[in-house]
Amino acid sequence: MTARKFKPDEMVDFVVVGSGAAGGVVARELSQGGFSVLVFEQGPRLSAADFEHDELKYFFLNGITNSPKYAPQTFRKLPTETAKQPLGGFLPASYARLVGGSSTHYTANFWRFHEIDFNERSVIGGIPGTAFADWPISYQELEPYYTKVDWEVGVSGLGNASPFDPPRSKPYPMPPLPVKSSGVLLERGARKLGLHPFPAPMAIASQPYRGRSQCIHCGFCMGYGCEARAKSSTLYTMIPEAEATGLCEIRANSFVYHVDTDAQGRTTGVHYFDSNKGSHFQPARAVVLSANGAETTRLLLNSTSNRFPQGLANSSGMVGKHLMFNQGSGVQGLFEHNLNEYKSVQVTRILHDFYDSDPKRGFYGGGGIDARINPQPALWALDSGGDLPRWGAEFKARLEAFPRAMASTGHTTSLPLESNSISIDPTLKDAWGIPAIRVTYKDHPDDLAMAKFLQDRSYEILEAAGAQKIWRNEISENVFGVHLLGTARMGNDPATSVVDKYHRTHDVRNLFLCDGSSFVTSGRGQPTMTIQALAFRAADYIGQFAKRNEI
Amino acid sequence: MNASEDTQDEISRRSFLLSSSGLFSSMWVAAHWPGIAAAAHHADQVSDAAPAHFQFFSAAEGADVEAVSAQIVPSGSTSGAREAHAVFFIDRSLSTYFASMAPGYRLVLADFQGKFHAASPGVASFAAAGSDQQIAFLKTVDRTPFFEMTRTLTVLGMFSSPKYGGNFQGSGWKMMGFADQHAFAPPFGYYDAEYKGFVPYPAEKHA
Repeated sequence: MTARKFKPDEMVDFVVVGSGAAGGVVARELSQGGFSVLVFEQGPRLSAADFEHDELKYFFLNGITNSPKYAPQTFRKLPTETAKQPLGGFLPASYARLVGGSSTHYTANFWRFHEIDFNERSVIGGIPGTAFADWPISYQELEPYYTKVDWEVGVSGLGNASPFDPPRSKPYPMPPLPVKSSGVLLERGARKLGLHPFPAPMAIASQPYRGRSQCIHCGFCMGYGCEARAKSSTLYTMIPEAEATGLCEIRANSFVYHVDTDAQGRTTGVHYFDSNKGSHFQPARAVVLSANGAETTRLLLNSTSNRFPQGLANSSGMVGKHLMFNQGSGVQGLFEHNLNEYKSVQVTRILHDFYDSDPKRGFYGGGGIDARINPQPALWALDSGGDLPRWGAEFKARLEAFPRAMASTGHTTSLPLESNSISIDPTLKDAWGIPAIRVTYKDHPDDLAMAKFLQDRSYEILEAAGAQKIWRNEISENVFGVHLLGTARMGNDPATSVVDKYHRTHDVRNLFLCDGSSFVTSGRGQPTMTIQALAFRAADYIGQFAKRNEI
Repeated sequence: MNASEDTQDEISRRSFLLSSSGLFSSMWVAAHWPGIAAAAHHADQVSDAAPAHFQFFSAAEGADVEAVSAQIVPSGSTSGAREAHAVFFIDRSLSTYFASMAPGYRLVLADFQGKFHAASPGVASFAAAGSDQQIAFLKTVDRTPFFEMTRTLTVLGMFSSPKYGGNFQGSGWKMMGFADQHAFAPPFGYYDAEYKGFVPYPAEKHA
């Protein structure tokens, strides 16, 4: 079957806004369930042949990411400040803007969340000044959908290799990717310290999988589209399978800017701009927003009406609140022999010994540590924080030692704070005249303390592994994020959450939200696996509701 | 609006981004996405030879910027910024895809030159000074917006694809030991070549 092409104004069962990690899954599940699905994607449709090994383009010229040229944003640390556009042009809420969304350029670290991520509030108690809360679902409820991601999307790994792993119902479909020298050294150092490193689960094919090539170890994963189709981006997995049903159209270069509602408070469809900035209305029986934690929020807040004056699905006032970026920290080590870390996938070994929060540390937080590098030369060279040499003979010596270097990075929690948010800037507009995103963000002190704690552990691990020299990266407050989480949190109480446990908005019966915005807590970094498990689960229930005429 | 303060702000944000290897260890700097195609097209024609003249800099500006970049990544037994033609990358980037930064850069460059003249009245220009004198002076200004921007641009000029005008014949990549190759096969390095395989942990469950 070939991809569906809907006629202008043709009524569809579902409009899905966003074709990324979540939108791709929702589109595939609903179209395979027999529903007609129209997916809107603001960015272009590219293929493997369009992607390049070009560091300047992808990291410094917004090759496939959202750009301040047409979609500027503002930033401030606290709600009392006036937000300003960051100079130099980077965006505080950054994502890939093309079919496949950020699943096209992600690093593909695919940890599952642990059981504790869903009920941590009950286990360790509340944290004053935060909106720390339990999820309305448990790990056990999500487990079958994690397994679906493993098999349907394609994850390589070694099941139960970590003693801290949550229970799983099925092994990984593919073995782990070949270990790199950084992984070997992390494992060596960590085991000496009594820790439990294990093969990193990655959404990258370690062997041919469902018509896709295995990884060719080119090293250009993080920030790039995969030229080998080995990375399990929805561009290569869910989206072609959705189109193959004959019931799904992916409409690229089409920017949805308003969700419409009728007098009964039901959504009737969406307004969007085509590639020539022509405005159109697309009718739908139901709408699913999977535009990421920043753009889903903007769309809701910009979809005001007489009935919904503070934005759609926002009777709680919680839309946009509780933004979480995750924190992180790193060290870099030099070893005697060449590692050549610029080759192959970014991460091959991780450890979860510090995953759980521990009151003995004196602060809330948890995280994972991995072995990696910023594989491309310019990023490596530009890394200048902490005590890294910045110029002259010492700097050049560090550059020449590139093949002997590795990094160890900690990925950590962000507490949900009502003051951290995505909101609408009062004056700034994008190139379509639509009010722009304003990001308000300041890390909780515990988030920074946890990042520092893992940096110390990473330092010890590289020391135990025999590093000749170790540098610490600087730990700073987040001023931008690529993990856009928590802004339309899931919950049972319509007064404190935006969607219910099935991702249906409390306020609009036929409007669903499914992406990073649904998160109640941040996990320990690496959110995409959980975004996709949620998307499989949401689509499962949405399909059942539709079949029972409960939408 | 105070250009220098804004530039300082920009630099401090950028420095943060570049230092945070935790997530995406990089800034996503100002974009001139449509400028790319033109720049790359132009690059195809010049990547094997040094450009004959500057597009953005005057000869004196170009000489000073090249001298600074050559102290950031010095020449030696391997290529430095000079051999990689980093200054020509900088010149072209400021006249094309980084054009939005160009006015600010020109301001801080003039400020740098003024400071140097004040500190070294007998020397015609930074480029004309001896290496020791250059290093001594740079140590007094190596946290200024001019230096930070030049450092960033020098690095990009050394390690971006040669099609953008720097990294002459891949000399930056060679210096760094980066192989510009489309695919690799394991073993990738010394330590994974000698790895014996993952040994599972005893089956006890940790809390």
